[in-house]
Amino acid sequence: MISEIGTICLILAFGAAIYAIIASVIGVRRGDNRLVVSARNAGLLTFPLLLTAMLLLLSALLTQQYQISYVWQVTDPNTPTIFRITALWGSQQGSLLFWCVLMSVFAFVALATQWREHRRLMPYVNAFTMASLAFFVGLVLFLENPFTRIWADAAGNPVGGVFQPSGTTFVSVDILAQSARGLNPLLRHIGMIIHPPMLYLGFVGFVIPFAFAMAALASGDLSSNWIKATRRWTLASWLFLGLGLILGGRWAYDVLGWGGYWGWDPVENAAFLPWLIGTAFLHSVMIQEKRGMLKTWNMALIILTFSAVMFGTFATRSGLIESVHSFAQSEIGIPMFVFWAGITLTGVVLIVYRRHQGHLRDEHVFAGIVSRESMFVLNNVIFVALTGAIFWGSFGAPIIAELTTNTDITLGAEYFEMVTPPLFIAMYILMGIAPLSAWGAMSIGRLGRALIAPIAITILVLVVLFLTGTTQAGALLGYGVVLLAGVVAVYETVRGAQARKRKHDESWLAAFVNIFGRNRRRYGGFIVHLGITVIGIGVIGSTLFQQETQRTLAVGDSLELGGYTLRLDTVDLGQIADDGRVMDIANLTLLRDGSELARIRPRLDFYPQAQGMNTMTIAGAHSTLENDFYVLLSGYEQTNPGDSTTLSATFKVYLNPLVNLVWWGGIILIIGTVISTLPNETAPARARRPLEARAKATA
Amino acid sequence: MAQSTPWQKPVDAGIPAKKSNRIQFLIGGFLILAAIGFLIISGTMSGARFFITVDDLMTSSTYVDQSVRISGVVLGDTIVYDAQNLTLEFTIANVPTEFDDLGTALHIAANNPEATRLQVRVENQVKPDLLRHEAQAILTGALGTDGVFYASELNLKCPTRFIEGMPENLRDDGTLEQGA
Repeated sequence: MISEIGTICLILAFGAAIYAIIASVIGVRRGDNRLVVSARNAGLLTFPLLLTAMLLLLSALLTQQYQISYVWQVTDPNTPTIFRITALWGSQQGSLLFWCVLMSVFAFVALATQWREHRRLMPYVNAFTMASLAFFVGLVLFLENPFTRIWADAAGNPVGGVFQPSGTTFVSVDILAQSARGLNPLLRHIGMIIHPPMLYLGFVGFVIPFAFAMAALASGDLSSNWIKATRRWTLASWLFLGLGLILGGRWAYDVLGWGGYWGWDPVENAAFLPWLIGTAFLHSVMIQEKRGMLKTWNMALIILTFSAVMFGTFATRSGLIESVHSFAQSEIGIPMFVFWAGITLTGVVLIVYRRHQGHLRDEHVFAGIVSRESMFVLNNVIFVALTGAIFWGSFGAPIIAELTTNTDITLGAEYFEMVTPPLFIAMYILMGIAPLSAWGAMSIGRLGRALIAPIAITILVLVVLFLTGTTQAGALLGYGVVLLAGVVAVYETVRGAQARKRKHDESWLAAFVNIFGRNRRRYGGFIVHLGITVIGIGVIGSTLFQQETQRTLAVGDSLELGGYTLRLDTVDLGQIADDGRVMDIANLTLLRDGSELARIRPRLDFYPQAQGMNTMTIAGAHSTLENDFYVLLSGYEQTNPGDSTTLSATFKVYLNPLVNLVWWGGIILIIGTVISTLPNETAPARARRPLEARAKATA
Repeated sequence: MAQSTPWQKPVDAGIPAKKSNRIQFLIGGFLILAAIGFLIISGTMSGARFFITVDDLMTSSTYVDQSVRISGVVLGDTIVYDAQNLTLEFTIANVPTEFDDLGTALHIAANNPEATRLQVRVENQVKPDLLRHEAQAILTGALGTDGVFYASELNLKCPTRFIEGMPENLRDDGTLEQGA
């Protein structure tokens, strides 16, 4: 019954989305308000329908309905409840349904809360959002239905179908439970519980700014209304995407066991691209708000952001690229490519049309090279260059080589490690300079004077670093550039608070609270810059100063690395966990200057039930802000079975300095983005009244 | 025209840019684009590698001692892991470039005695969890004159990880129940 009801919900949601598109377009063309409202209701309806479908699949996972092939693929009788829930996005079909639900949530909230405020845009927003949703629901319904059940034909061969195909028989849950696959061991990690939903929220969230931009182009309302309507959506999507990327890095660091968090894998890059273009958009959109400039560019950026989301989804899920992340090759590749090309082309055509009509004309021109506008443009150039370089390395060069010379080529990590650092350095330099520049023309001398104090503070920190042992020129240069961005963010915040304190005779605390309350976007933005600075310091430290070693230790032996001593105490073999996995655990003690710091327990997990990959190397680590002591158990030997004292084990050990700043920087970034997203506090009524009276008197 | 809201900037006729400014922007823009272009081109020249099959590698002498990326299917019986020295040795077999389903192609290639085989050696490498029979190995390295491929990077993709599959023949598992 779950399969039938779930599929009916999908059919109804698909129908509602298609109806919403048609009724919206016809309603607007005919000026038929009833039809437009009816389309809105249909759009709203997709959310409860898809939510019902998702809850049905969830209940099937929780109640172990193994006759549903998705449940059979991603769970088994030993799967703990938490992983039964996360199995919802553990494979292609479930994750596509989950994606649809998230998209319908966004559509529901936008249609419910912004309908009255943006009456002219909303019918088009409804049409474009529902077009995206209908496409994905169509994929789920026609190509990747998670409610497909397993039947058996006369010869005992499994046959898939929601409804019973003729000539097949029912297979009992008990029989199927015996061969159920269970969730991929790689996905049984806390990071994997949160990473995909965050990434999906980021990806899917960009559909709303995209739909608003397309609505503005289609309706001809090319004022800044669409920007006002989408600022929070864009920030929230950007935040979720950033969070997803950071959590993905953390998962890779914890689970993949190579001591790193970013491998320039095409799928990682595919998720990074929309984040980069989204960042460019978040900055350049301010120029449109403040100066009425870059209207075409902003349209292009937000359409490109969603286009990058769709391209990344297509590249990941179609099997187009060789990646350790890829889903199985499936039939969704061609439809996804067509959809991606379709939305991108539609966006480009609409922009060209409106530009040709003169509707996207800028209201100001650039006043000078040294101005806030120019800095923002330069910022955009760098982000777009980063996007282009990463796209070229991951997809462009391999595809063009294949098409033109029929040769497969690939660009490895060396390409990215050569091309991206100069661009990231330029980005950090701009982060250090741009906040000090002013709107309109500004003299270089004035900007230089504004930079004196932050540069002096940065140099002071570098001198301290040099005196405490960081003597590598490249590292000092990197730290200097990154630190300047953070120093300027803090310096500007303190200056803002100081000005407020002086003007209103407030305490420092009150001044800080008030400047954040009154201009959340500016000061939240500075916190974001601080977060990016902290991440940058972490990346430099963990990349340039990583140390590693490998040794085989007998029980009681030790190894030395970076001033630490690691001693093997015991090895516990064959420990059985609650979920049925068998664990071999090495018990180690970490010492520094003879005193015990921590116990570290790297282990090898074996999943007897799992098909395919059934072992996992789980790192043990001692984490501090200073560094991570990261230990992998690579194997063990026992010369006399039964005598644990004859055990020896081999370890690969990494010392990753400052790596935890990457995660802490991520947390700071989240806090800053949340502050930026919140609405500003308005002045209290008693303070507003005299101002309003004065304005009325002068009118 | 849509009504402007208080926070919107009023539309004015726009002030034409000074000629000197425009030239500065043009020169600056050109220099930036040239620098980015140079970076990408030089990165491509130094980072590009042929991505070839085992057959391509073994049939052409042009690839000897040249850093390339190859793809093949792992033969499980050949995996030898020296945990003390962190060295891995195994053999991969050629997988045809054209196939409908990667899992099936890997299965056929691994069980095809005629498929070209290549011995691989990877040093300083903890045995990856995905290294198993019929996994797809994507290796970066160079073919030595001794006919062994010395890999500096090993990526593995296990087709069963994300397979959208069905169980094996159900009759083997027990009696089938009749009716829905």
